Amino acid sequence: MLKYLVRRLLAAIPVLLGLSVVLFAFVHLLPGDPVAALLGQHATPELTAQIREQLGLNKPLYEQYVIYLGQLLSGDLGKSVINNRSVVSELALRFPGTIELTGAALVFAIGLGIPLGRLAARHAQGWTDGVVTVISLLGISIPIFILGYTLQFFLSVQLKWLPTSGRLDPRTHLDAVTNFMLVDSLLAGRLDVFVDAVKHLILPAIALGSIPLAIITRITRAAVLDVANEDYVRTARAKGLSERRVDDRHVMRNAWLPVVTVIGLQVGGLLAGAVITETVFSWNGVGRYVVEAIQDHDYLVVQSTILVFALIFLAVNLLVDVGYAFLNPRIRFS
Amino acid sequence: MATATAPLGRPLTVTSSARVSRGLWHDALRRLLRNRPALVGLAVILVFVAAAILAPLIAPGDPLAGKLVDRIKPPGGLHPMGTDLQGRDVLTRILYGARISLLVGIVSVGLGVTMGGLIGAVAGAFGGKVDTVLMRVVDVLLAIPGILLAIGVVVWLDRGLPQIMFAVALTNAPIFARLLRGSLLALRESDYVVAARSIGASTPRILFRHMLPNALTSVIVAATLALATAIIDVAGLGFLGLGPPDPRTAEWGTMLTDATSFYRQAPWIIFFTGAAISLTAIGFNLVGDGLREALDPRLRH
Amino acid sequence: MALLEVGDLVVRFRTHEGTIHAVNGISFELERGERLGIVGESGCGKSVTNLAIMRLLPKPAGRIEGGSIRFDGIELVGLPESDMRDLRGREIAMIFQDPMTSLNPVLTIEEQMVETIRAHRKVSRDEARRRAVDLLATVGIPRPEQRLKAFPHQFSGGMRQRVMIAMALALEPKLMIADEPTTALDVTIQAQVLELLHRLTTEAGTSLVLITHDLGVVAGMTQRINVMYAGFIVETATTADLFERPSHPYTVGLLHSIPRLDEDEPEPLIPIEGTPPDQRRAPVGCPFAPRCAWRLDVCWDVMPPLDPILGAAPDGRVTATGPNATHRVACHNPPTADEAEAGRPLRPGFVAAPPPGGAAPVAVTDALPSEVESVAPEVAEATDVTTPGGRAPDARP
Repeated sequence: MLKYLVRRLLAAIPVLLGLSVVLFAFVHLLPGDPVAALLGQHATPELTAQIREQLGLNKPLYEQYVIYLGQLLSGDLGKSVINNRSVVSELALRFPGTIELTGAALVFAIGLGIPLGRLAARHAQGWTDGVVTVISLLGISIPIFILGYTLQFFLSVQLKWLPTSGRLDPRTHLDAVTNFMLVDSLLAGRLDVFVDAVKHLILPAIALGSIPLAIITRITRAAVLDVANEDYVRTARAKGLSERRVDDRHVMRNAWLPVVTVIGLQVGGLLAGAVITETVFSWNGVGRYVVEAIQDHDYLVVQSTILVFALIFLAVNLLVDVGYAFLNPRIRFS
Repeated sequence: MATATAPLGRPLTVTSSARVSRGLWHDALRRLLRNRPALVGLAVILVFVAAAILAPLIAPGDPLAGKLVDRIKPPGGLHPMGTDLQGRDVLTRILYGARISLLVGIVSVGLGVTMGGLIGAVAGAFGGKVDTVLMRVVDVLLAIPGILLAIGVVVWLDRGLPQIMFAVALTNAPIFARLLRGSLLALRESDYVVAARSIGASTPRILFRHMLPNALTSVIVAATLALATAIIDVAGLGFLGLGPPDPRTAEWGTMLTDATSFYRQAPWIIFFTGAAISLTAIGFNLVGDGLREALDPRLRH
Repeated sequence: MALLEVGDLVVRFRTHEGTIHAVNGISFELERGERLGIVGESGCGKSVTNLAIMRLLPKPAGRIEGGSIRFDGIELVGLPESDMRDLRGREIAMIFQDPMTSLNPVLTIEEQMVETIRAHRKVSRDEARRRAVDLLATVGIPRPEQRLKAFPHQFSGGMRQRVMIAMALALEPKLMIADEPTTALDVTIQAQVLELLHRLTTEAGTSLVLITHDLGVVAGMTQRINVMYAGFIVETATTADLFERPSHPYTVGLLHSIPRLDEDEPEPLIPIEGTPPDQRRAPVGCPFAPRCAWRLDVCWDVMPPLDPILGAAPDGRVTATGPNATHRVACHNPPTADEAEAGRPLRPGFVAAPPPGGAAPVAVTDALPSEVESVAPEVAEATDVTTPGGRAPDARP
């Protein structure tokens, strides 16, 4: 087990190095004069000199890369060329929002996807299965921005059931402690604010979670049908176990394995989708930070944010590997 | 598959190989044509392809210019899908938008399959160090979540249709590289490739005559499904303001961005444009699923 | 009253490709403590019969469409699922062919054994665990205390089958059904596992139904044998009688297709020509007729009843079970003792009756199963020609 984990951890190192090379190239090999490209209309002699200094552009390329790597390892992601704010502190401010959003989306996708998949498998080829198939087809086919605006238009604008955008009612004053609204509201003892934060979360989470929901539903259905044909499920029935126990213990415990793998793969899609979801719902998170940086041609911010997204993606996949190994004794005990 | 017969060098087996492939494809086609959802998907795609080709003939208006008196007209009369902020006919723009979406989608998936296929084929065929290095590259690309990679590339290369095609292709390439490599590695060990090798067939010959045709089926399925994603991604780039440089262009994603600022007054633009994007994606997803079932009936549940 | 009474059992599978006539009205009985072998080729309905007894036919395709199954006086056909579940594992236990896939890979042996015991007995987890340890020791698993914590993949195939046996015996069932219990095991392990099964069922007085395609396996294990072919019982007798005086052409064929190592001069093996019939068609006549060297004209049209062989029941009374079970055969023209010995008809001038309409017998019955049929026939042909051993590596039916 430990050996397996160490191997997975080691395998991530070349990927991280490769990633740093790609992102280094992204900024340093910008077509034309990188500094001019970086600064665009913001170019002033002082700024140009400052950026040259920051990037070490006067040194040979490999040396620049080593410097860049050193900065990364010491947790320095550079500064925005637009407002000179440290990227790390900006990310720290905005990441909680993105985590809250993607977390809620994942909870929605898993919480609904697995029961739906099981339901479809239990009634395979029946009408329930048909309905679930259509839901998952729509889930993967309707883009986030369209689902997002549709939900917003009907549920917020027309029916006024839920707030249209943002993370909290703008009139609310809440001391930022963790920047997780769900946590901060509870820390402040404001249950009303907590409820408000949840209300703000619902629509973005559904919009963002629809694709993983569709995929998790499909894979759960397929995995359950696959496992249901296994000999050991027949054995379990032959032992006289109740249908429910056969399902929960013998079918699901095995069906989880492919499902967990797929859930891990969804995290990448969720992070990418957050960029669009946050734009639709004016959600203050890293996704919007990136989009703003793109619009401002703030390449350093784009570069650093992509790096952080990739890091999270790799970390989550490592976590999924651990979960997989934990669920699968063939890996745990070998 | 029957191609294994060729290295035996007997004319008889060569003909039988051709017959077998035909049998397999013919059979898959028959199964596909019996699959009603796939046929619906195919019909949807054909409608959009026809719309794209015939846009100049059937579109009621001008996709780029509109009259200000016509601005924000709800659906009805001369404008079955209403008009936008500049008074342009939404139906016209959706028809023209189909050209860009389908073209960019198809080109970028084609390019992605080619790039990824090449990487995967080389990695899978040679194995060893080549394989390790190429797969690490693929891992790096896969670590950057989908549309973020495309965003990065478009930002880096600047906006433009070729850049968008390349960006979306790059997000697809790793998937196809893995897919092809996986099938090739499995096939490398299979009886008939071992048989072909044991009678001394050369590596490129084995690769192109025996292994690639076998890996093809899964690539076709994945490519069809990737078309759905590509069209959504292209629209997503447009939506984020990374669409074609000319802001007037009738591109679905760009149209959405324009529409979002006043969607309370004119929800129909988002509705119809969104429906066009979603329907195209649904079409490709249905056909892709149908192809998967047709080409690999073992997966049918 | 016998422990198990199967009467006119009919099982069919309704699939997309049509109805499969898996079991076509078979009857047999089993006494308490008796050991019965069911022998036949794969697809002859032997496993389906036993899944029907357990009411575990694959849903929704497989159905019991007629007949009765009485177990210990209870009619199982139509018994509510909850009552049936109560019988499974407790009164009737089953061991399956492949011990590699029959145990759940993600649960420990302990979890799998304890849940079996606790599904039927109100005992504490500790008590159940103690019982499991005893059982593992009984089936010869060393260090049972520790091994209880292990997962299936940490056992060898033979050890896994011992675990399966231990689990099956956990509730002291009255009937144990073993479906090809040793087919997937190494030859050296097979004998040990069979011996264990024999000993434990004998000691506990458990009735045993042993399903196998291998006459060698049933020879030493069972007291009686049913020979099945295409969903029919074509011959039934005590094990001694069956080997002494095989009376159905199919049984004769089976006996001649296994090597006899105990004879000084080994006889040449005579394979049974042809393949079993396509069970998608309702059976007409004797299903073995197309492959039979003894067939008469009547065989093509009329399925013979399972009747006592000549001299087996002088007073017309049939005994269904026990050491004096009547030797019965379903054949219009049973081979004589000499013919059985020789493996072919010896009557001068005898020729097997041609099929009605004069078509070649193989062409009539040798239809491919539907899945294969849907692939272009050339695929089978080409792969056969070109791959070593005729295996199709990429045949995608």
